[in-house]
Amino acid sequence: MDYNNNFEHKMYAHCETGTLVSLLNNAGYKITEAMVFGLASGIFFGYLDTKVFSFPTFIVRSKPGEVRKNLSKVLNIKLKTFKFKDADKGMQKLDNLLAEGKVVGAQVDFFYMDYFPQWMRVHNNVHFINIIGKEGNDYIISDSYNREIAKLDQSLLKKARWAGGNMAPKGFLYYPEKLNPDVDLKKLIPKTIKKAARNMLNLPLSFIGVKGIYKFADKLKTWSKQVRDIEHFSHEIIKINILLEEQGTGGAGFRYMYAAYLKQAGEIMNSSVLNEMSEQIMQIGDDWRNISYFAAKIGKNRDLGEDRIAELSEMIRKQGDAEKIFFTKLKKVY
Amino acid sequence: MKEKDIYVDFDAHKLVFYVEKEDNSYGPIISGSYLSANYLDDHWMKRKNLEEQLRNQVIANEISPIFYYMTFFEMGPKDLAIRANMSMRKLTKTFKPEGFNKLRVAQLKLFADIFNIPVSNLFQTFLIKDDDQEKIEMKQAATDNELYHITIINLK
Repeated sequence: MDYNNNFEHKMYAHCETGTLVSLLNNAGYKITEAMVFGLASGIFFGYLDTKVFSFPTFIVRSKPGEVRKNLSKVLNIKLKTFKFKDADKGMQKLDNLLAEGKVVGAQVDFFYMDYFPQWMRVHNNVHFINIIGKEGNDYIISDSYNREIAKLDQSLLKKARWAGGNMAPKGFLYYPEKLNPDVDLKKLIPKTIKKAARNMLNLPLSFIGVKGIYKFADKLKTWSKQVRDIEHFSHEIIKINILLEEQGTGGAGFRYMYAAYLKQAGEIMNSSVLNEMSEQIMQIGDDWRNISYFAAKIGKNRDLGEDRIAELSEMIRKQGDAEKIFFTKLKKVY
Repeated sequence: MKEKDIYVDFDAHKLVFYVEKEDNSYGPIISGSYLSANYLDDHWMKRKNLEEQLRNQVIANEISPIFYYMTFFEMGPKDLAIRANMSMRKLTKTFKPEGFNKLRVAQLKLFADIFNIPVSNLFQTFLIKDDDQEKIEMKQAATDNELYHITIINLK
């Protein structure tokens, strides 16, 4: 394969953080994925019920693209970004950057990443990959979810970069232009922790943050009226597991990854309180994981009566209580 | 979650999880997907049933192939409308055979691109009987003519 041979491909939990960590590490700026996620105040919750989605859903991290923007701001690093109206010009620009030996991050529709099996692929415009080279008609792709470096045909990459729809990628590309070696993490960490806590507690929208968890618990009880049949209901309930565990969250809806951030932050700040908070969010993560397992089990068994759904709803409501206590405490640490 | 409690042996679908390691540090490990290891059979069955259900509705002229693929690929109507450069009202009309029949070829091509299928698949389905799945393979190859695909059926 014709690509930048110095590039080290690794799997990461999440595509946006993974792409960013890979680009930074390969540029010589050593940082962990958990640190990227935490410094960007990526932890979040939102319950979404709009016609953009085929069924109500929820998110467990900040808006796609925010991790990159927040990290760049917090660390004062310059990321060169591009968007294109003209697809041909956008493909040419990519080729030019690759010819210069650059590794380039790109936003794509996950549906067209045909190195994954069909059953895994859904239309999702906010998947991030690194493009590390080109060989004939194929681009060489480093995808955080894939164990190996993969190839993607140029016509598919073009479709994926100009997919249109909600949060359309518009050919988005980026790479690190200027790094900042003089970062004082001791100053930054308290600010990023406060921001994360504010996002979970104080945003004035009923479907966001801790309020979003409560909304999810309530609305779950109405899902049975929105499904086609029992198999559809089973599928949507099992998707709770997918959204918490399988869609690049590092497990438990990013709560484990945030625990890893607080642990690292505790060491940097020499803070036993942060260390304790990391253990608490790890426990909260375990409870989310129990919800995932429970949802998968009742979904597969078609055990989806009113009582069982009420039980699941109650488990989720308790998570709202736990996260409210946790983020209120976290907000007061600094 | 302790490291030892998270490992799942499933090679076809690996994921990165953050865990509490044996030395009490927190960090990433690679494990098989719990869901894929334990629930894929159920997923396949539901997909197959949904596909058949939708196909029968197309055959009975109750829904259009646009509605078929949108439902099958779990796309929201608003997302599909933006991708297809259509208003929601106009898109909704294409969910029924009467609306679908009025679409121009260029619009059909746009929908086919969104679903990543040949245009011709909006008018036909290829089915390989369950018993023959292991003997026959089928590939649909694009050609320089963007409206024309070649379907190659081979004995394995």
